[in-house]
Amino acid sequence: MTSLRRSFGAPLSAVIVLLTGIWVLGLIAAPQVIMIEQSFWRMDRPAGAAELSVRIDALYNRLDVLALDRAAAEKVKTPSSLNAELARLDAERAGIEAEIARLEAEESTPVKTWTLANYAQMGQAHLWIFAKTILASLAVTAIAFVVCYPIAYAIAKLEPPRRAALIMLALVIPYAINELLRVFAWQMILNYGGPLNAALGLVGIGPVPFLESGTGVFVAMVYAYILFMVFPLYNVLETLDTNQIEAARDLGAKTWQIHRRIVLPHARPGIAVGCIMTFMLSAGSYAVPYIMTRGTADPWFTQLVYNRFFQATNWNVGAAYAFSLLLVCTGFVFLMMKLLKVRLRDIAK
Amino acid sequence: MMRTGSGMVLRLYMGLFFAYMFLPLMIMVLAGFNAYSPPSVTVWRGFTLNWFVELWHDDRMWSGLRNSFVIAGAVIALALPMGLAGALLLGRLGNRAGGLMYAVMVSPLLTPGIILGISTVIFWRNFEVAGGLFTAILAQTTFIASYAMLMFMARLQRQDATLEEAALDLGATPLQAFRRITLPFLRPTILTAAVIAFLQSFENYNTTMFAIGGQHTLVTEIGSRMRFGLSPVVNAIGILFILATIAFAVAWGILKERERRGAQRTE
Repeated sequence: MTSLRRSFGAPLSAVIVLLTGIWVLGLIAAPQVIMIEQSFWRMDRPAGAAELSVRIDALYNRLDVLALDRAAAEKVKTPSSLNAELARLDAERAGIEAEIARLEAEESTPVKTWTLANYAQMGQAHLWIFAKTILASLAVTAIAFVVCYPIAYAIAKLEPPRRAALIMLALVIPYAINELLRVFAWQMILNYGGPLNAALGLVGIGPVPFLESGTGVFVAMVYAYILFMVFPLYNVLETLDTNQIEAARDLGAKTWQIHRRIVLPHARPGIAVGCIMTFMLSAGSYAVPYIMTRGTADPWFTQLVYNRFFQATNWNVGAAYAFSLLLVCTGFVFLMMKLLKVRLRDIAK
Repeated sequence: MMRTGSGMVLRLYMGLFFAYMFLPLMIMVLAGFNAYSPPSVTVWRGFTLNWFVELWHDDRMWSGLRNSFVIAGAVIALALPMGLAGALLLGRLGNRAGGLMYAVMVSPLLTPGIILGISTVIFWRNFEVAGGLFTAILAQTTFIASYAMLMFMARLQRQDATLEEAALDLGATPLQAFRRITLPFLRPTILTAAVIAFLQSFENYNTTMFAIGGQHTLVTEIGSRMRFGLSPVVNAIGILFILATIAFAVAWGILKERERRGAQRTE
């Protein structure tokens, strides 16, 4: 803090601290904390609600009895004793009505109960979708890595630098084009009347319901997020000194040895970034399953989260689902950092 | 090296990869000029520009575009100062506190977008603020400020600290030194950060979709039209997006090239 004030002066330091505070506390921390907090409680009927409702029923019965008593009294009693009797009955009725109002308010005011029930709500079916979403995202990540590693290596190490720069610039175009468009292109291709089914029809297969079976989601996801693997890999491989590779080759190393001992270790930060981005985008993708299934195939976990909030409007359960997803993604980040022995500073660049 | 057998295989593989990257987009572009609806390339009814005309008269697209610009403008105005403040603060923090602060500041980049969106809506619901443009702006600012922070940090690391010290020694107030030395040094980064922030905000779907409530932006509107893919109007707007992206990429490439040449000249 003192070094901050020394270089920027008190007023500017105050502005810096204020702005950072709003961002870090107000935008990053507070919403997450509130979301997590909300996932651990729900508004319940108060404890003993059943008992209360029995008591309320009894009081209503008593009211009916009083009404009968009153009618009977009006017929039988002499005028002198009637007024006193009626006043007594009315007073008792007013008392009971007040009691009923109080008990009913108590019965219907929900109380905040701390519970894990929001997580337990997931049940078999949703848990399976959760697991499937994670597995599919891991598969997307693995495929992206296997496909992209040779590409990134070829561009970074085998092409002359100027050509490499041009190739990467060309790849920026599909990379920067909105995710939705990339997905929509595949919706057209895999549709019933789409080019792929037309081609399959020529050889007598089909039509195959790619979109309705959920295959489409997977195919489009690989396509939509694969370039998030290429760029980080290319960026680290570009910094690898080619002399190292040649030295290894001169010393008799085989191609796979060169990759295992030199190229892959050097590429660790890029692999970490690529895998984290691809996994996180896949597991957290709403656009791809939304566009690629039209609601016909099993939902993706993100769609369940969306429905908890905006259709079932159970925000506490929604918060629990969202937090589960966040936990998995955070876990994946730590796992990659641990496995590949990279620090956060190497990742965020 | 490329003349060896394995080099040939790699070349072929790269060609396939490029075809894989570009062919789907070409199919989408082609369908945008086909007079047949729903969008198709297997049934060809002749070349038309009708879908662009229809797009021009589409009110929801226009209102979405307006919302997108409003959000992007607000995000730039919020995320850049916050990111810059974060970068300046990190530069002066000790190792331990700095490390923790840094982790928190980059965490939005490692969080799924839908979580950023929904947590913002949950938070503001406690203050009786429903999802809308306001929450969308805040949710986007959360992670776009992280991008800005990283860019400013990279630039500040290259700053020559002696210049600032010299100014202070010569009697400038810290505010003057910041305005006359640090800010001009940061200007190119401010510009790039604004462009990146604009693109990130404008193109965002996942976070916005969860934060925007009953409102819509251009991109969320396109998303809901795409789901059922009923009209090639979607392809028409896709073509416009692609053209804009190509223009951006080319401009970026030229800028980079010029920078490189400039750097070579000064060396």
